[in-house]
Parts: sequence; C-alpha cells; structure tokens
Amino acid sequence: MLPTLLSQIVNGLVLGSLIGLIALGYTMVYGIIQLINFAHGEIFMIGAYGGLAMFTYLLPTFVQQQWYLALPLLLLAGAGVSVGVALIMERFAYRPLRNAPRLAPLITALGVSVALQEGVRVFYPGATAALPFPKVFVQGTWAIPVPGGTVPLRWTGLLIIVVSLVLAFALNSFVNNSRMGRAMRATSQDRDVARLMGIDPDRVIVLTFVLGATLAGVAGILYGADLGFINIDIGFQNGIFAFTAAVLGGIGSIKGAVAGGLSIGLIKALGGQYLPGGTAYDYVWIFVVLIAVLVFRPQGFFGETERVRA
Amino acid sequence: MTTTLEKAPAPTPEPRGRLAPVAPYASALQIAGGALTLIGALLPWATFVLNEGPYPEKATLEFFTAPLAVTGFRLHLVLFGIAAIVLSLVTVPARGRMLQGLGWGVVAVTLANTLYLVAEGGGLGTITAADGAVAFGPIVALVGGALIVLGGSARRREDKPVWAWRSNRYVEWAILLVTYVLLLLLVAAVLTSGGQGTAANVYSGAVFLSFLGAVGGLLAALQASGLLTWIAAVSERHRLFSVVVLLFVALALPLTQAGTEYWMTVAANIGVYAATAIGLNIVVGLAGLLDLGYVAFLGIGAFVAANLSGAAAAQFDIEVPFPLVMVISAVVAGTFGAVVGSPTLRVRGDYLAIVTLAFGEIFVRSSQNNIGGFTGGSNAIPGIPPVSAFGNDFNDELIIGSVELPRGALYYVLIVLIVAAVMLVFGNLKNSRLGRAWIAIREDEDAARAMGIRTGPVKILAFMIGATIAGFAGAFFAHKTGTVSYESFKFLESVTLLAAVILGGMGTIPGAVLGASILFVLPEKLREFADYRLLLFGIALILIMRFRPQGLVPDSHRRAELAPDSGVPPTPGTAAKAAAS
Repeated sequence: MLPTLLSQIVNGLVLGSLIGLIALGYTMVYGIIQLINFAHGEIFMIGAYGGLAMFTYLLPTFVQQQWYLALPLLLLAGAGVSVGVALIMERFAYRPLRNAPRLAPLITALGVSVALQEGVRVFYPGATAALPFPKVFVQGTWAIPVPGGTVPLRWTGLLIIVVSLVLAFALNSFVNNSRMGRAMRATSQDRDVARLMGIDPDRVIVLTFVLGATLAGVAGILYGADLGFINIDIGFQNGIFAFTAAVLGGIGSIKGAVAGGLSIGLIKALGGQYLPGGTAYDYVWIFVVLIAVLVFRPQGFFGETERVRA
Repeated sequence: MTTTLEKAPAPTPEPRGRLAPVAPYASALQIAGGALTLIGALLPWATFVLNEGPYPEKATLEFFTAPLAVTGFRLHLVLFGIAAIVLSLVTVPARGRMLQGLGWGVVAVTLANTLYLVAEGGGLGTITAADGAVAFGPIVALVGGALIVLGGSARRREDKPVWAWRSNRYVEWAILLVTYVLLLLLVAAVLTSGGQGTAANVYSGAVFLSFLGAVGGLLAALQASGLLTWIAAVSERHRLFSVVVLLFVALALPLTQAGTEYWMTVAANIGVYAATAIGLNIVVGLAGLLDLGYVAFLGIGAFVAANLSGAAAAQFDIEVPFPLVMVISAVVAGTFGAVVGSPTLRVRGDYLAIVTLAFGEIFVRSSQNNIGGFTGGSNAIPGIPPVSAFGNDFNDELIIGSVELPRGALYYVLIVLIVAAVMLVFGNLKNSRLGRAWIAIREDEDAARAMGIRTGPVKILAFMIGATIAGFAGAFFAHKTGTVSYESFKFLESVTLLAAVILGGMGTIPGAVLGASILFVLPEKLREFADYRLLLFGIALILIMRFRPQGLVPDSHRRAELAPDSGVPPTPGTAAKAAAS
C-alpha cells in the first residue's frame, strides 16, 4: 500500500520535473510576447531526435560506450538542434507577425507544430515508428527501503530530477540577477518603455527563445535516456502537459512552472493509480485540471492577479 | 459585348522604380514571352520515358508533330501563350494585370509539371539533355512565363476597370445562368482532372496541380479584367435567382463527368466538412472565439447517430428514422456545445482556445477508451446501415427515366441540401441581431458589453449553434461512411477544419466551402505525396498567416481587422493590447 503510493509519487516527481523543464520555455515566451508557443513541445521532440542523430551518425563507438562521454555530447547536440530550430522558427514564423492580431500567431504556432512534427517524421530515417534511444546513463534502479517494501527509483529518473532543479535554479538566478535578465523582465512588463530605456526587444525575444529551447533540448535527451525510446508524438503530448503546468503555476513565473510541472506529474501518476478508469484516463484528469484552473484561477499559483487578457 | 468603362480620374501611376528601365520594352517582352510559351509547349518535355510509364500528353515526343492536336497542359500553355501575344498587341484596360495573371498561370503550370518530371526522372537530365535526347520544353516555357510576368509588371499600373454595364432582367438572368453552368463545368473538370489517384494512375497529382495552376491563372486574368467583379455585382442584383440557380447547378453535378461513384463519394465527404466548417465559422469567424476541439462535435453527432442506427455494436437496440436521428444528434451535440462554451463566461482569448483543446482531447481519450460503451473504442462502431427512403438505399444507383444516377449520388444530393440549409442559417444569422452581437464581441468584447450586449449568453449561443451544425453533419457522416471511429476526430482534424475556415476567409460562406473543398480534395488527389501532406499543410498554415491572413475570400470587416497596414485605425482592443504588452 505505502510502497505503491510512494512509488507513484516518485514516478510523478520524475515526470513532473521533466514537464517543468519544458514548461519553463512556455512560461518565458508567454511572459515576453504573450504567445502560446504551441510548437515548443516539438522543439523538445526535435532535441531528442537531434541527440539521437548525433549518437547514431557522429559519435565513434568508444564514445558511444562510455556514458560519461556520450551524455554531455548528447545534451549539447540536443540543446543545439533545439536552439537552431527555435531561432529559425522565431525569425521566419513569429517575428513577421509581431504586431498582428492575437489569433494569427497562435494559428501560425499550430502550423509550425504540425510542420516540425511531420518534418521529422518524413525526413528522419525510421521516424515513422518509435526509435530506440541509446542508454546514455547508468541503468538500473535504486531501491529505496520503506516500511512494507521498497520504492524503485531509476537512476535516469534521479538524473532528471537533479538536472531539472539545477537548471531551473540557474534560470531563476539568471532572470533575477543578470543584466540581460533584468532586460527580459522589463520587456515582459512593457515592451515599448523597455525600448525607450535602450533595450532591444528583438534581442530579448531571441534570447528568450534560446533559453527555452536549450531547456527543451536537454529535456528531450533526458526523456529519451529515461524511457529508452522516442517517437514523434512525444512533443505534442508533453507540450500540452507542459503548457498546463505553466498555466497551473501561473504563466510568466519560473517558480510556478516548476511547481506546476511537479503537480501535473503527481496528478498523472496518482490519478492513473487511484482514480476511476486507471491509466487509460490519466490524460483526461490532466485536461480536467487544466480546464478547472483556467476557469477558476487563470492566474495559477504564482501568477499576477490583475492581468488584462484580451 | 459593349461595355462603358469609367475612366479613373487620377493619372495612372508610373511603373515602380526597379522595373522602370524595362517599361518601354513591356510589349516586346510579352510577345517574346508568349512566343516562348508557345514554343515551349510544343517542344519535348522529357528526355526519356519515366519508370511509371509515359508522362501524360506525350511529353517524350521528339517534337510535337501536330500542333493543332495538343491536349492537356500543353493546350493550356498554347492558349496562354496566344492570349499573351494578343493582349500585348491589343489595347485593353488593365492588360498589365491580366498579363501578370496569365504569366503566373504559365509559371504554375510549367512548375507543376517540371518539378514532377525532375523528381520522378531523377535529376535535371530529365528536362535538359540525356541519353542522346534533348527536351528543353519546361525551361523554355518557364522563361516565357517569367517574361510575361515581367512585361506585365513593367507596364504602367492601371486600376482594375469597373464595368458598369446593365441590361434588363432577362438578359442578366441569361448571363448568370450561362456563368453558373460554366462554373459547374469548371468544378466538375477540376474535381475529375487527373482522374482518381491509384497505382495505375500515378500522374494524377501532377496533372491535377497543373490544371489547378491553369485555372488559377485564368481566374486571375479574368479578375484583373474586372469581369468577375461585374458578375458578382450582377448576381448580387439578382440574389434570389442566383441562389436558386446555384442550388440546382450544384445538384446537377452527378450529371457531369464527375458523376461516378468515386467522385460522388469525394464530393459528399467534402460536403460534410464544408457544413462543419461553416459551423466552425460561426464560432471562429463571427464570434472570434478560437475553438481547437471543434471536430469533437462532429464526433458526438456521429456517435449518437451510430448508436441509434441499429448497428450490431450500438448501445441501443433501436433503429430511429434518419431525419429524427439528425435532430437528436444535433441536439446532443448542441448541448455539449453549451457545456464547452460555458467557460467563455470567465476565460478569454488564447486561454479559451486551450480550454476547447482540452475538451477536444478529453473527447478523443474517452472515445478511445470506449466510454460507456458508446464509442466502440479502437474497434469503432462498424456496420451502420445506409439511409433509406421509399425502400431505396441511398448508396444504390438510381434510374429515373433515361437518366442514370451513379451510386452515392443520392448521398451527394442530400449533403448538398444540408450544406444549403446550413448556409441559409449562417447567412441569416450573420445579418441578424445575434450575428451583429457576435461580430461586436469579436471586434471588442468590453465595448460590446458596454453597448448592452449580454456577452455571456451570446457567446454560449455561438458555441451551441456551431456544435449543433456539426452534430447535424455528424449524423450524415455516420450513415455515409458506415463506420464511426474515434480516429476521425483527432486534434489534427480540428486543425484542418480551422485551416479550412482561415484559408477560405473567416466569416464568409463561400470561404468556408472553398477552404473545405481545397483541404479535403488535395489529399484525395495527391495520394503519391501522401507522406508530405501534413508537412505541406503545416507550412501552408504558416504562409497563409504570413501573407494572406484574411483568406481567399475575405470578409470586409475581417479584412480591416487583420491587415494592419491597410490604413484602417486599429480597433480599440488591439490598441489596448499594444499598450499593455
């Protein structure tokens, strides 16, 4: 009984910190340009494929066999590919629509999402089916003893939790303490006044996309290493979860994204275990929570209470 | 036809800077372009026979030996080339614009064929010189098309001429009748061009695209000449006549060359999505509420109809007559629409879009898990009997006197009537008090509320009516396809419907129908590009929002709202947003 509960909590925390990592990208972009970047989930997916491509086609065998050599390179490749795609996307899809009415960029984001997903499916060899992801971290589980049994925690899961929290803290201190972070906060409050103060909003927006894509790319690699396989659907699915997490935590808030991510992970794990319908309906519970939050507390846990959303 | 043309009062502007040097040679360029197009059409188009068999229109002939017997895309090119030469010699108002249209038509036709030849033939050798044969047709025609466009652009810009010609009622009726019959023939030709894409008919996609390019060029030229605007004005003068005749013309499609079982099925499927798109147009186009889970209502309608159809897998063991089923499906879907719409009371803008997406996903997940046994889960609900009337199944062929209607024609007739009814509802709603309230909410919700519109109920009504229409179409869909599976109602379908509305033009009836037709005909035609379908679709969405956000048939209100450069002052909502961001 207790081990089941605890192991579901552990599962939830692993999934949740991954979702939180993706949610950071959503929350930052929304905070700056009020765009629901639907394609952010696909950036995550492309990061995973970028890492896989690096591993399969570029790394020599002896590097492939040593995870401590392969993992950093994979993380770099994943983040790099994600950032590259995000830059192209921002420059050619979103920037021309900067001053367009609200619906236009959202529909564009849908188009980008479909195009990226299909682009990978069509052009990545073998991507029509799930592809095995290399085991780039210590395999096996850590059996944590608890009263009445043990709770398994995969080492890769532990890696996800640690990396996610470290990156979230790093991002938080960057946004709060650095000069560029201050420019980001200023731009998100009032782009025109920020421009008057000598900030180049285009640079800030590009930086926002770069930061979000880096985190998404890292998340993609971690996801693949943990699950052992990837397919092209992971972007849309986890993207929606991450968006839910960002809203739940209060969009625009970094703490909120992490807290929201952890909550979503726990809802999915515990809902799949204890709520009627079991794992078949765990997605449904997340969407129910999403609707409830948007309707009753659209500012989320940490969001600003008075925000004009037209 | 004698026409009186209103002279533009202002002097025509000079050609734009970069093209000014070529302006004196515009006519020469066009004649050269037209001649090259003609020559290109008659040259060989491929150096060898492709693996799949000879390319249509004898493209591998050494030289075309019988210039009077050209067919297919070669015929289009020949006609366009002659038209370009004639237009550059004869002074016609706005011929520069017309020539541009023709030129782009030539370019489109040539590119469609060339790209296909190059891709299938495996390299540029296909269209230049290989295996001791030469085939420069595509390149010559492409240069010709480019020259025509260049010459057309270099001419002095003239305003589109306004045709003010009027006649008595019967003459105008006759003109309209002829126009609509031509329209029917054109639609039938577009639908059937290239034939059914199968393993035996691999070139259907390329032929279809080429035909589409020719039609596009022709329409652009006609539009530039002011003819289409004039026809539109005439049909506006005789609105009732036009509506009635168009309905009959639409019903006459089974009598054209499109009257086979396959094309009837395709047309009926288009009809289902057209009706659904019009429903979505109420929510998105009129009320401005982005709905990303709209296809769920089509699904709800279909599943309700499936369960009431007496199919073996149905939850209820009764067979309700079809008209009643349609009503029940519509009512159930409408009820769900009100439920999904209720968050609009508190949620706005893109957050609302996410709420609707969440509802849509809940529907997909639940029906995938066979919730309550109503949806059959991954087994779907198969074996739904066809609609029958007077002891006659709707998917049988029908012989009335000497006229033989193909299988599926009755379904086609039924869906045309449904679409017509939905259009009628949409048109009346748009001009009603409710429709004006929706448009006001779309433009600025706070201002609308200040003007005394009760925004809450009005918004929920938009969702409800949109969902009702989708439920209506869903009932038809269930009986037409015979199998209802959750697979047909996934997120991507919602996006496709949304794209249909946007591509056609938000808030207009022809727009929704046109958009749905394009998005659901293309995959049917481009079977050999099936792998790239969604990729192209996503890119198309991006390009539309970038270059033509108002869609193919823009709504006048919407145009002002979506084109920030048009000089119209921004609506208060966008101004407030700009200040807030």
